[in-house]
This record gives sequence, C-alpha cells and structure tokens, in this order.
Amino acid sequence: MDCVITIEIGTGAIRVVAFDLKGNMLGSSKGSYPTFHVKPDYSEQDPEQIFITMLYILKNFLNEKIHPRKYKVVCICFSSAMHSVLPIDKNGVPLGYAMVWSDNRAKKEADDLKNSSLGKSLYKTTGTPIHAMSPLNKITWLKNNDKQRFNAAQKFLSIKTYIIQQLTGEYIVDYSMASATGMLNIRTIKWEENALKHAGIEKEKLADLVSVFYAPKKLKKEYQTSLGLHDKVKLLVGSSDGCMATLGAGVWGDGKATVTLEESGAVRVVGKEVLQDEKQRLFNYLLTEDHYISGGPTNNAGAVFEWYAKQFGDFKKAFDLEDCIENLIADAAKVAPGSDGLIFLPYLQGERAPMWNANARGVYFGLNIKHEQQHFVRATIEGILYAIYSIGKTLEEHRSFKRLSANGTFASYPFWTQLMADVFNKPVHIKQGSGSDSVAFGSFLLSATEIGLYKNLDEAAETVKLPDSFTPSKELHSVYMKHYSIFERLSVKLFDEFEAIADLQQDN
Amino acid sequence: MNQFLLKKDNKELHAFPHIIEFALRKTNTIQFDSLKKEASEFLRFYYVLDGRFDWIINNEHHILYPEDLAIILPGQSFGGEKDLLDIGTVSWLHLELQQLEKTGNMAMGKWSHLADSECRTIGKILMLNNCPILSKIKEAGSIFQCMQNEFINQEIGYTARINQLIDELFILSARQLTRQNNSRRDFPQTFMKLEQALRENLSHQWTVEEMAALVGLGTTAFSEKVKSYTGFSPLNYLINIRISEAIKLLKRPDVHVTDIALDIGFYSSQHFATTFKKLTGYTPSEFRKKNIPTTD
Repeated sequence: MDCVITIEIGTGAIRVVAFDLKGNMLGSSKGSYPTFHVKPDYSEQDPEQIFITMLYILKNFLNEKIHPRKYKVVCICFSSAMHSVLPIDKNGVPLGYAMVWSDNRAKKEADDLKNSSLGKSLYKTTGTPIHAMSPLNKITWLKNNDKQRFNAAQKFLSIKTYIIQQLTGEYIVDYSMASATGMLNIRTIKWEENALKHAGIEKEKLADLVSVFYAPKKLKKEYQTSLGLHDKVKLLVGSSDGCMATLGAGVWGDGKATVTLEESGAVRVVGKEVLQDEKQRLFNYLLTEDHYISGGPTNNAGAVFEWYAKQFGDFKKAFDLEDCIENLIADAAKVAPGSDGLIFLPYLQGERAPMWNANARGVYFGLNIKHEQQHFVRATIEGILYAIYSIGKTLEEHRSFKRLSANGTFASYPFWTQLMADVFNKPVHIKQGSGSDSVAFGSFLLSATEIGLYKNLDEAAETVKLPDSFTPSKELHSVYMKHYSIFERLSVKLFDEFEAIADLQQDN
Repeated sequence: MNQFLLKKDNKELHAFPHIIEFALRKTNTIQFDSLKKEASEFLRFYYVLDGRFDWIINNEHHILYPEDLAIILPGQSFGGEKDLLDIGTVSWLHLELQQLEKTGNMAMGKWSHLADSECRTIGKILMLNNCPILSKIKEAGSIFQCMQNEFINQEIGYTARINQLIDELFILSARQLTRQNNSRRDFPQTFMKLEQALRENLSHQWTVEEMAALVGLGTTAFSEKVKSYTGFSPLNYLINIRISEAIKLLKRPDVHVTDIALDIGFYSSQHFATTFKKLTGYTPSEFRKKNIPTTD
C-alpha cells in the first residue's frame, strides 16, 4: 500500500507522521533538539543536530512502522517553522548556528526600518510586517554587527532549505517560506530588490524560489540506501508550519478562520486577496499563486500558561507539567467567567499582532482582597484568549468570519476551546482523533493534491469537515466583552509604561 | 557535650584509617587564627548546628546558617573570612578518599559499601557542583550526631555503623545536590543543563545512571522522561549529539578522523565509523570527501 510521510521541522522538535492515501494516520514519531540562548534575545539552533535528528527519527520510524508493514512511500513532504536564518560558507558549511524564528536580536534594525518610508513600501510589496524576527532584519543585523560572518556567507538559508539541500543537493525555498522572510514581492513572486538592497545582498545569496509543489530531482543515493527508500520517491519542498496548519484545519474559503494555540499562537484566514492593513499589523503569506494566508501571530499563548504552571502550579509528580496543567485548569473552572474582575495582560515576551510592541509586558489588573489563587489561573487563561481575540478583531476589519477551527496543544483542552467560543461568540471546531495534527494533515493534503488525488488545494481542503464542537454562549460573551474592553484599553494606555519598564529591565 | 575532637592519631580512629578528623565544636569566644584559610588534600564536610559562619570556600564568600552543610573538595582552600571560627556550634569530618579526580572519578576505599559505579556518579556530582553548599539539610545533622554517639559508646558493631553513616552522608549529599539544582518543575530547563554537561564532556563514557543522577531522578523515571521529551532514549540522544558534533568536525579539514572519534566519545574509530554509516549511509571519510572540495 502507498503512503505519504510528512516531516515538520518545528521550533524544538522534528515530527514525522505517515498517512495512507485516504488521509488516515498510520503513525508518528518525534525527536527534539535544544535552543541555545547565549545572550538575551539570542535564540539559536545547531543545523547539524537538526539534520541528524531528522535522519535518525525518520530512519527509525521507517524501519519500525513503515517498512515492516510493506507500505511504499510515494511522497515525503516538508514543513517548517518560519523566519530562521543560516549563513553558509563557500563550501556550503554552516557558519555557526542558525538564528531561529524567535531570535530577537535585530530589534533595532526592525525599529529603524519600520519607521522609514522604505519600511512602509516594503510592507506593501512583501505583505509581511517589519519585525525583529523576519529574516530581512536578521540579515541586516549580520551586516551591521557580524561583518565576518556576513562577508563569508555564500548564501543565507532557512533551516528547511539547509536540510533539503543536505538530502538532495539543491538550494531551494518555497514561496510561502520565502514570503515570511520579508524579502519576497508577493505580487510578482520575485525577490524584492529594495529589500535585498537594504539587507546588503544580491539575490544569488538566497535560495532559488520554487512553488510549494516543487520536488527536487532526487534523494542522494546514500540516503536512499540508509533510509530504505526507492529513487522514485517524491520529495515535496512543502511549506511553512503556519500555512500547513491552516490548510490542515480546513478553513479554506470564506467565513472561516483558524486559531493555533501552541507555545505561540496565531489567527489566520485564507483568501485570494492580500489584506492591506494601514497599520501594518497583519501578515500575508503566499501559499500558491492564488492563495494568500493572512493573519496575526502572538508570542504569548501556551508559553505563558506554562510559565504560570511552572511558577505557581503544584507538581505532585516531579517534572509532570501535563498533570500540573490539568489541575490548574480544574481550579480555573471553579471561578466565574471574568475572574471576578481580575484581568491579565499576557505580554510576557513582548507582543506581535496586533500591537507589534517588543516592550509590552505582563500585567495583573484589578486585584482586590477577595481574589484567590484560582482567580489568577482563570484570569491568565482569559488574558491569553483576549490577546488571541484582539488579533481576530483586527482581522475582521478586513474580512469577516463566522466560525473558527482550533488546533495546537492548548486547543485540545476543552476548557480553553469553550472559552474561545464564548470570547469570540463564534462556534469553534476542533479536529479529533486521526489527523488531528493540523500541520501534518495540511502537508498530507498538499502531497495528495500533488500526486493527483485531488484536483487542487480547494478540493483537498473541502474534505476537512468542520462540525461545530463548541457553541458559544451569548450571555458569557457579553460578560467577557465587558472585561475585554478594559483589557484593550489597558494594552494601549500602558504604552509609555511598557517602554519605561522594558528599559529598566534592559539595564538590570 | 560541647566539645568533641578525634584526630588521626587518636586510638578511637585506629579502625578508621580514612577518617582524618571528626569533631564537634562549640565556640563561645572568638580566637584569632582558629580557622585559617588553607587548602588540604582531604574531602571536608562542615555542618552548622548553631550560629552564623562567614567562610571563604574556594575563594568564594559563603554565609552558612544552622542546618547548612558545606562540602570542600580536595585541593580547595577553606577558612573563616577573618581566619577565625565564628561564635556558634559546628561539626566536621575530614576524609581521605582513595581517589577523587577532576573528572569526578572517585573511589572511596574498602570501608565503603557503595558500588564503584555509584562512587563515580557521586564524584561527578560533587565535581560538577564545584563548591557545594547544601542548605537546610537537617538529615546531615542527624548523621553527625549518630556518628558521635557511636564513637562515644563504642557498642558492638560500631565500626560498621560509622562507615555506613559516612556512606549515608555521601548519598544524602548527592541526592540533595541534584534536587537543589533542579526545580523538579521545568524538565526542558533541567534537561538543557544536562545537555550542557554532556556537551562539555563529550569524550566521557556517560552512563544512564550518571545522567539520571545529575537530573536527580531514578534511572527508570529518567529514561521515560527523556524518551517522552526528546523522542530518544538517553543513550541514543547522546549518540545524536555525538554524531552532530562529528559532522561539524568532518567538515573542517584540519581535524583527523581518528581524533574526531575519540574526542566525541566513541571508544574506537571503528565504532564511530559503523555508527556514522548506519545513520547517514556514508563512512566518515566518504562524508568528508563529499563535503570538502579537494582544491582549495
């Protein structure tokens, strides 16, 4: 029997998933690798460790789950976290570690560019907000601060490009990953000259642009042998994790949006038009020539709740974070919606959409003498979802949607999903069971389209059914909105204080 | 009893050639030069029962309060901040170990019932912590108290009991040290610390027991935790780090393949080549040839 393998090169781990051609999941495996923070704002990973982890996991997975069951791998599709930058030298050897998506060192470069007229015109042509994490600013940072590496670089790759090059010898980047670099003109689908000029590079310094359906000519012979794959296996370059999560959640077409709740989060819609936001708050990633994935990301989703759990949760069993989180959620459920007037701004790691303010910080507001520990738990979850809602509201200034499809680790807690439905006042669907991993399933749909099982992505996405799993309560919605309006005002009002406290923290 | 002092030549210590000194001292008045800063070749434990002690251990200033235990490694200097013993009560034990190397290789001697591998793990934990201070460790006080009673009463079996108590002191210290260093909440953070220790000493022949002890978990719980967090068994995770380091070194033409194997912890270049080929499909030399252009 034929099968499709998807490989997700995530923030901290590789995930390998296999599907049969009907989209049933056959099995999965993961392997993690560390992120190094040698200085504040630095987040780096070792490309060789990621490559070897991928190889190791893939090989074991094939040998244990696929080859013994006589499945024939017809297609392998990649997806990856966005925004990474890896300079390589003239021999193709990495110059140090890769800066990963969360690396924030290019703050100054981003601020300078954002406030310039070039910045404004770049947002128009690239569709990507100017921020510290975008490769445009990361490369500019290298130019300004690490001349040696910058000059020695033959190319600036993403981690995914590097992995695929190791396997096939080709330097390629798909449109969707490229459009997350801040250097792709999403209308002409060519590298944007003004962006390259600003970063101080020529287009030869970047990988070759290809469609998400592009398949490199072949897997190197040695890897065919060690992985036990035949030479006809199609390696699909694939897309980014965000785009694939959106496709896999089935929110294709009008009236739908998807919410991803992992450590970070995002709200996204799909359409044929670019959303041109005057305030540059939304991204637009080009998936294919006629599909744009638009939306806004937050830094402060699951990561903030995990922070809360680690600081204040009760660890009955050593290191059992999941158990701790479940107990906290049970505590939160004991408190009335609105947490009796306790409001939490979750901006512990600065914030991207909609405010795009790296200086933003966390706040508990409205504390009174009656608040107990469990109020904090509930307020924390509510605050994280208010931040998600604020992105949704921004998106709705451009395109309305009637229902949500939720995915990611934290969407699997019913308490969170119901809260999301009530805050948005929209039904929320969540996929369960086989294929619940939206990123992997999106990659499967992409592969299935490429090998001819579906005519196009629209048809593929339609196969994802979205029954309403959580229906909103109007009454609770109005309770939450009373709190949200204060949340929203605080987020704006504290701008100066955020800056002042961030300065103070910088000095310490 | 306020004062108690046994030194190597005392007849009470004839049965314990490894004990250099054992004491309990209550200080009521300050005496100059009563605790001068000096290094020694012994392992020293100091437990505070009462008072507040300003000590310089290994050139770092520490303040110890009741129920705190300081462990001074062989070769480290130790003494009062003002070269004197502050007012209060303190117990100490000076031990001569058969071996304690910088790498953490430790052997106690025949008197101990700890297994050789356990000794090495404990040694590693002590060395990694460099200058361990254990705070609020009441159990250490009980051990000192029991030892003193055994010395005074000399009832049947007291030599065995005292040696057991010393073993216990080592076990307690090692367990407490790993717990003190890890919050037992944040596995990713704890694992990151372990990963750093592994990377800093990749050529060491790590065992799962050692790794688990550094994290402060039993081996079974540790292996399960690592498997669910990383997707690998602890030893496979280690191989993973080793191979990724190897790839980096193979891409640098100035390092010899045989050196690479040993540097990153494979016991022979054959072992390295087999593991490398199994995973990548290339032998190390083939991999090098493919990745480094010959004309340069």
